[in-house]
Amino acid sequence: MRSILNVALNDLRVIFRERASIILNLVIIPLVISFAAGGANSSMGSGGDTAVPDLIIDVIDASASAESAAFLDVVRSANENVLLCPLDNTADNLCVLPEGVTTVDETLAGTRLEDQTSLALILIPQDFSETLNAGTARVVYRSNEDASAPGYLLSAVEAAAQQIGGAVEARTIGLQVADDIEFLTFADEADRAAFGDQVYTRAAEIWATNPITVNATAGELVLESAAFNGFSQSFPGIATMYAMFAVFPVMVALIDERRYWTLQRLAMMPIRRSEILGGKLLARFLMGMIQYAIVFAVGLVIGVPLGNQPLATVLIMVSFVFCVTALALMVSTFVKSSQQASGISLFLSLTLAPLGGSWWPLDIVPSWMRMIGHVSPVAWAMDGYSKIIFSNGTLVDVLPMIGVLLGMGAVFFVIGVSRFKFE
Amino acid sequence: MTTSTTMVEVRGLAKQFKAANGTPFFAVKDVDLDIRKGEIYSLLGPNGAGKTTTISMIGGLIAPTRGDAKIGGYSITKQPLDAKRLLGVVPQEIALYPTLTARQNLEFFGRMYGMSGAALKSRVDEVLEFIDLTDKQNERVDKFSGGMKRRVNIGIGLLHKPQLMYMDEPTVGIDPQNRRRILDTVLRMRDEFGMTVLYTSHLMEEVQEISDRVGIMDHGEIMAIGTVGELIQKIGEEDMLIFRVGTQSVSSVQLERLKTVEGVTSVTYEQTAKAANGEGNGSLPIDGRVVARAKRGRQALPDLIGLANADGIEIQSVEVREPDLEAVFLSLTGRALRD
Ligand SMILES: Nc1ncnc2c1ncn2[C@@H]1O[C@H](COP(=O)(O)OP(=O)(O)OP(=O)(O)O)[C@@H](O)[C@H]1O
Ligand SMILES: [Mg+2]
Repeated sequence: MRSILNVALNDLRVIFRERASIILNLVIIPLVISFAAGGANSSMGSGGDTAVPDLIIDVIDASASAESAAFLDVVRSANENVLLCPLDNTADNLCVLPEGVTTVDETLAGTRLEDQTSLALILIPQDFSETLNAGTARVVYRSNEDASAPGYLLSAVEAAAQQIGGAVEARTIGLQVADDIEFLTFADEADRAAFGDQVYTRAAEIWATNPITVNATAGELVLESAAFNGFSQSFPGIATMYAMFAVFPVMVALIDERRYWTLQRLAMMPIRRSEILGGKLLARFLMGMIQYAIVFAVGLVIGVPLGNQPLATVLIMVSFVFCVTALALMVSTFVKSSQQASGISLFLSLTLAPLGGSWWPLDIVPSWMRMIGHVSPVAWAMDGYSKIIFSNGTLVDVLPMIGVLLGMGAVFFVIGVSRFKFE
Repeated sequence: MTTSTTMVEVRGLAKQFKAANGTPFFAVKDVDLDIRKGEIYSLLGPNGAGKTTTISMIGGLIAPTRGDAKIGGYSITKQPLDAKRLLGVVPQEIALYPTLTARQNLEFFGRMYGMSGAALKSRVDEVLEFIDLTDKQNERVDKFSGGMKRRVNIGIGLLHKPQLMYMDEPTVGIDPQNRRRILDTVLRMRDEFGMTVLYTSHLMEEVQEISDRVGIMDHGEIMAIGTVGELIQKIGEEDMLIFRVGTQSVSSVQLERLKTVEGVTSVTYEQTAKAANGEGNGSLPIDGRVVARAKRGRQALPDLIGLANADGIEIQSVEVREPDLEAVFLSLTGRALRD
């Protein structure tokens, strides 16, 4: 038993050796994709607006911080016709401000809304940057009820809120994870802060390539960074996909270890072969669970409704990760080289995830596709989560899915173990 | 019979593989071996002789098709964990985690031998000292030179102070200086730690230098076993006189005439279609040579050359080889060790 743990710990050490890429792969990318997919899901069926010149939006930025500037940048970049006033006023006064006026206060903004000079008002409170880090930031968006602003304007603002919130979230989590993993040590506080900024920048970059639109409502709307309801599908979906991504490299690792001869060396040591293989699989199982936990934890922190059945949820997670670990073991016994292994692992990742409903709910695909999709373990996990999240299911309701996952896993495991060769 | 002086006892050990085209063949054919405690025992044989396959069975990595090996009385097939506890392994490949440091590699494998805590730490320090890598211990091994990696590879085998050390071609692909170091290490294992060493190589010189006893292996069989002296005696301690004659052919009548020279016991003519560097195939020029054996070769040399010239045999080069393991291998198999 101790040997299993030692083998697993050593493998984790090897995996966590690449600290930058592990944080990127384990934390940043999955989160960014979860946010992006969540936004895309909730906007399904909307859109189609066309650009209108000079969309004047008044801005009162009481915070005047780097964060609010970043937020406004995102709003600005969402549509080329957006004109933030008075920030972006031009020489020929496109903002249509009264003679000699260079700032907008709430009274003036109210008048401008009423007489339809501006389409909307964004109010950024003074404590924006502090509350953003705490995950409770609010931005007030006000539009004139009569001349309701085009939907994509609100979308732009909403997307900006999500994006900034998401990147901040990623930084906080990145740092937390880094602090929790013993192998990741920072030389000093500056090193740690630099790492956080790197994560933030990277997250924002990735974010920028995943524009988000959400449905618009007229009137006054308060955006809170913790109110992303479209994410109840995307978080479990993306978490499940990434849990699989975190496990699949075991295929390459097993082949590589045979190539390095470390596996053969272990086989000549006074330990059982089952302990060696068990340790290697345990390490990857844990990677899958860590990945799952990260995405779900973030989902919970920002208030994505994920159901209130923790035990059932955890059991689905465990049985899914077991299933894909066993699948990876089995597949690895059929491939000859690490190139083949990485090819097949990419192929499996990119078919099993969408087929199983990681990217969009299987409810929206034809029933024959839904049936085929259930070849993928992902589909069974997703069925379980949607039972819990959308139809108030309990452990009893998800037992069939857990059973299928464990059953599939057991078959893969038996085939894999019986075919596995140490030399 | 296992006696208290036997470390390894191998009986009828055989391994069948499938060749690339699917036909089964025996890479190791019913090998018997007895290795005594405290000796350096070498398996000498060319590439593909079956050395690695033999010791992989002894080390419990691959299951024998038939036969068994005992280490310290424990059967590797029936009591593998007990047998393996006595065994330290230095594989032919550099079996290390490339992204980990030398120390991390040693510590991990040390843990797998059941060590932990302060005992592990101090043993790793000792081994690092022994392989002379204390100052590089915290560097990743993929940044190491070939010789340094080989030393870490050996260090891991030493960690749990095994009674038997298995070393599969530990000097392959490294420079003479590092090779010297490794050979000295092997000698120290026997002399300072009283270890038994099972050593394999296809290099005659190093085997001749370090071995107490040698098993000569070819095509999966052990052809002869003994001390270097005993093996040389087996071929009669004759010198070999090798005359290269290029593409000429030499008739048996001519060979008979050469045999009349005083002291010469045999004369043979051989043709190889191989280039001198051993990479040859049928399309390369034929290399013919006349091999004469004589008790005192240098004395017979002038007469042999004179007679050959008179007989119209054009000699391109002459080599006098005193008896060594190479000659033993040649006389046992009819082939050179490193062709
Ligand atoms: N797993 C295997 N499957 C099929 N054939 C194998 C296998 N392992 C070894 N062989 C073959 O068995 C023969 C003996 O190989 P082995 O590696 O034991 O030789 P060796 O004496 O160690 O040679 P070298 O000096 O090259 O290391 C070779 O012909 C080799 O190709
Ligand atoms: Mg070999």
